[in-house]
Amino acid sequence: MQKFTKTAGIISLTMLGMGGAALADSSDPIKIAINEWTGQHVSAHISGSVLQAAGYDVEYVTAGAVPQFAAIAQGNLHLQPETWGNNVGEIYPKSVESGDIVVLGLTGLEPIESWMYPSYMNDQCPGLPDVNALIECSQLFAAAETFPKGRLITYPADWGTRSKDLVNNAGLPFEPIAGGSEGAMIAEMQSAYKTGSPMLVMFWEPHWVHSEMDFDWVQFPGYTPDCDTNPAPGIYADKTGDCGFKQANISKIVSRDFESHWPGAFKIMQALSIDNGTQNSLLLEIDFNKRELEEVIAEWMGNNEAVWMPWVEASK
Amino acid sequence: MSADTNVSVNLKIWTLRPASVIWLGILGLTLVLLSLREAAPWLISYPKEWVIPIVSVLNTIMAWVVDTTGAFFRSVSAVLDIPMSAVRNLLTWLPWSVSVFILMVVAYAAAGWRLAIFTAISLSYMLVVGLWIESMNSLALVAVSVPLAVIIGFAIGTAGFFYPRAERAIMVTLDALQTIPAFAYLLPILLLFGFGVVVGLIAGILFAFPPMVRNTLLGLRRVPEEVIESGLMSGATQAQLFFRVRVPSAARQILLGINQTTMAAFSMVIIASIIGGSSDIGWEVLSAMRKARFGESLVAGIVIALMAMLMDRITSGFANRKPADEQTTETSFTKRHQYLLITLAGALVLYCASLIFPVLQTYPKTWVYDPSGPLNTAIDYVIIEYAAWIALIKKWAFFYLMLPFKMGLEQVISPFSWGFQFTPTLKIFYGIGALVLMGAAWILGRQNQAVVIGLLAIVLFFGLTRMPWPAIWMIMAYVSWQLAGPRLALAVLGGLAYLLMAGIWPQTLLSIYLCGIGVVLSFVFGTTLGILASEFEPVSRFLRPINDTLQTMPLFVLLIPFVMIFKIGEFTALLAVIAYAIVPAIRYSEHGLRNVPHDVVEAAECMGCTRWQLLMRVKIPLALPEMMLGLNQTIMFGISMLVIAALVGTSGLGQQVYIGLGDGDFGVGMTAGIGMAVIAIIADRMTAAWSAKLQERYTSNPFSSGG
Repeated sequence: MQKFTKTAGIISLTMLGMGGAALADSSDPIKIAINEWTGQHVSAHISGSVLQAAGYDVEYVTAGAVPQFAAIAQGNLHLQPETWGNNVGEIYPKSVESGDIVVLGLTGLEPIESWMYPSYMNDQCPGLPDVNALIECSQLFAAAETFPKGRLITYPADWGTRSKDLVNNAGLPFEPIAGGSEGAMIAEMQSAYKTGSPMLVMFWEPHWVHSEMDFDWVQFPGYTPDCDTNPAPGIYADKTGDCGFKQANISKIVSRDFESHWPGAFKIMQALSIDNGTQNSLLLEIDFNKRELEEVIAEWMGNNEAVWMPWVEASK
Repeated sequence: MSADTNVSVNLKIWTLRPASVIWLGILGLTLVLLSLREAAPWLISYPKEWVIPIVSVLNTIMAWVVDTTGAFFRSVSAVLDIPMSAVRNLLTWLPWSVSVFILMVVAYAAAGWRLAIFTAISLSYMLVVGLWIESMNSLALVAVSVPLAVIIGFAIGTAGFFYPRAERAIMVTLDALQTIPAFAYLLPILLLFGFGVVVGLIAGILFAFPPMVRNTLLGLRRVPEEVIESGLMSGATQAQLFFRVRVPSAARQILLGINQTTMAAFSMVIIASIIGGSSDIGWEVLSAMRKARFGESLVAGIVIALMAMLMDRITSGFANRKPADEQTTETSFTKRHQYLLITLAGALVLYCASLIFPVLQTYPKTWVYDPSGPLNTAIDYVIIEYAAWIALIKKWAFFYLMLPFKMGLEQVISPFSWGFQFTPTLKIFYGIGALVLMGAAWILGRQNQAVVIGLLAIVLFFGLTRMPWPAIWMIMAYVSWQLAGPRLALAVLGGLAYLLMAGIWPQTLLSIYLCGIGVVLSFVFGTTLGILASEFEPVSRFLRPINDTLQTMPLFVLLIPFVMIFKIGEFTALLAVIAYAIVPAIRYSEHGLRNVPHDVVEAAECMGCTRWQLLMRVKIPLALPEMMLGLNQTIMFGISMLVIAALVGTSGLGQQVYIGLGDGDFGVGMTAGIGMAVIAIIADRMTAAWSAKLQERYTSNPFSSGG
């Protein structure tokens, strides 16, 4: 349970064998934000371990998803390697504009955001994952309070209204119900999965639930920038705003003084990249096989020197 | 509802009381407004163009405050960080064996062996489940915020005592601080003081000092005149009079204030961990909640409940022990400081031992036992085995209770839900039925009940969220007028005007709908349970630990199993509201009934009352003031639960607060937060007035109640 406490740099200097501290520009610890979900813990700890390997002192600090932006903008936190580009609220764009938060580029993760359903629904509704088949089967997903429409769990209200907009624009036979919170959405997914009941939910990947349960993505016609004005793209040829979802970006961000304070670390973080495969395999170990985060990351570091050594090299 | 249900044997059907005439007028006007809803939609949904831009005003003010005073608040934050880090480092550095020992001695000093053993068991639990460091981080926050809150609260309370003019302003501020949901002021604290542990600290202080103020004021005011006079006669100066006479005489009440402050600080510290920065026990609960891990969150939640119970018992132990303690002041140094000496010696021995045996320093990871697995399995079992029952309960609650109240029978009755169509003929029957019931009540002389029946019939038919706002204004204003006169009516109208013009009226109605059903059910079931508990000891013994747990456990924990069983939506939210709001209803009714004077009960028994008569005719009327206080608290708890209930998908003011927090939009969150405070304060004043009215009636002659 001590995953948030400082991990000792076991792997650091010995593995590098060249006294990486020479690289280090300031001896102050680099404070890395830790959010509430495991995927981000993996990204944060990979970043932290690589920085430690290069001789930097790091500290992991728990931070809520919105408060962390205030913290980075104020320089109380320095690094967030996994920033989702949607639902960032107001503080983030303002701080990027003013230069208080510096965006280092994409993390390498490719997020998927769309509606998904448990895989066993494929048997009950042939034609899935196509969205037209889903529309045909909408009553399968109905609940007492939404009948005859299907019940669609959307993101919590504070994450925007994209699902609701799509339902309204395309006139789909679904009743959007706000999910309230991530925990509530997952609780309902687990409950549906265990009882084999139908469920349709707006969700995202990478996320650890995919290592625990089989869910399939609904296939929508792809998003086009002119979707909101041009009726041609999307589910129906005569409606606007009926395309699939615009996909988010995941970026690495640092505080304003990061580059001047730790120029070497800045270059390492610029080079660092984590892909879906890496994160999912580590998530599986941590969330499904219930292993300690530190242990899993240390093991990854040991086996993948070829992956991260070039990032450290990039700092020179 | 109103003054007199005074029923004499002769029925005076045709003597209309003025109040009843006005009520009939209001009912008629409501129906007229409802008939106009097609023609004038603004009667139902207040137009956006008429909304006063409170949100942007608040945001502008906040931006200005942050710009001009940011540096000042940051330096306050830096200063506060010094004691905070010191205590935090100390508590996490101390070997667990030393901390356990010290806390046990403190518990023993406060309340004896039993509490010391309870302390040992609780702390062992924190060690065994592997949450020691997190627990100590939370304890550090409380340990720093409570003394500060106590000092601030004491100072303000004293100021209020000496300057009665300041008192009004103080009371309004306290009401606001205690009713605006904590989530709404996390964001401004973050913006002003910056990120970090200090946010939790300041939130804790803000939330925790009001009870200290109230208790200080009350305590100082209750010091008997004779005591002051004797102080004056023995020639005390003003300062001496205050510190040597007034404060010691008020000590008990002040200590009670410290106890309540501790509990408030603790509950706030948990909520504040949503900001992060402290890796404390609240963060553990939130993380587990986000992952929907019921077992893990319950394990962490129990730690919180245990810590809260410990702090409560220890502080109230000290509060109650005080008078007996005074005799020790004259004895020797060792006698006076025996606990301190024992603590120091024991801590030193254990510290040295921990240097030799590292096991006493850090609790070994291999000894950690995580009981969350079986807990998760238990929930799975319920979901799978009782799926059909669960669906049935939910369907009933939706179709026959929640939806009619929310959207009206007009909308709800359909072949799918009720099994038949709500044809115009049936609607006419519904209207006739309501009129017949009203008429019957009227003939029996119960004109007030007739009015209530009429109101209920209208609301159930059209639905609360589809009522015209002018009708709601009329009804609320007149009820409050009858309860306490024109001043309350004006205040209520002012509050309603804010809710309407701030543009949060639809959310307000949704919140009132959910909270209203929750409060009514909580009060009915809670009072019943309370009556049973007061009559049958085993029921009381069974309920007590459940009540304790529900009140101290962070309710996030309960949300997960509720969602797993009942799915996302309003029904789950309703259950969450009830789970929290039922506790005061049980407690106050049991307490009130048990405290009925013995001589009265004996007298009634001598007169040959049966147990039932004793309860209905004697005990309940006498316990009524306390039960009304229970209703008041039930409403307050229900409202405060709305924000947490929004986590399972409700749309109301609670959700607005999250939208504000999620977007970093101070104005949106604060507007909704103030809205909830307005509802809470209106409800508080109205129930208080109602209670005063009832008390007036019963104290004049407690035995002549009822019909």
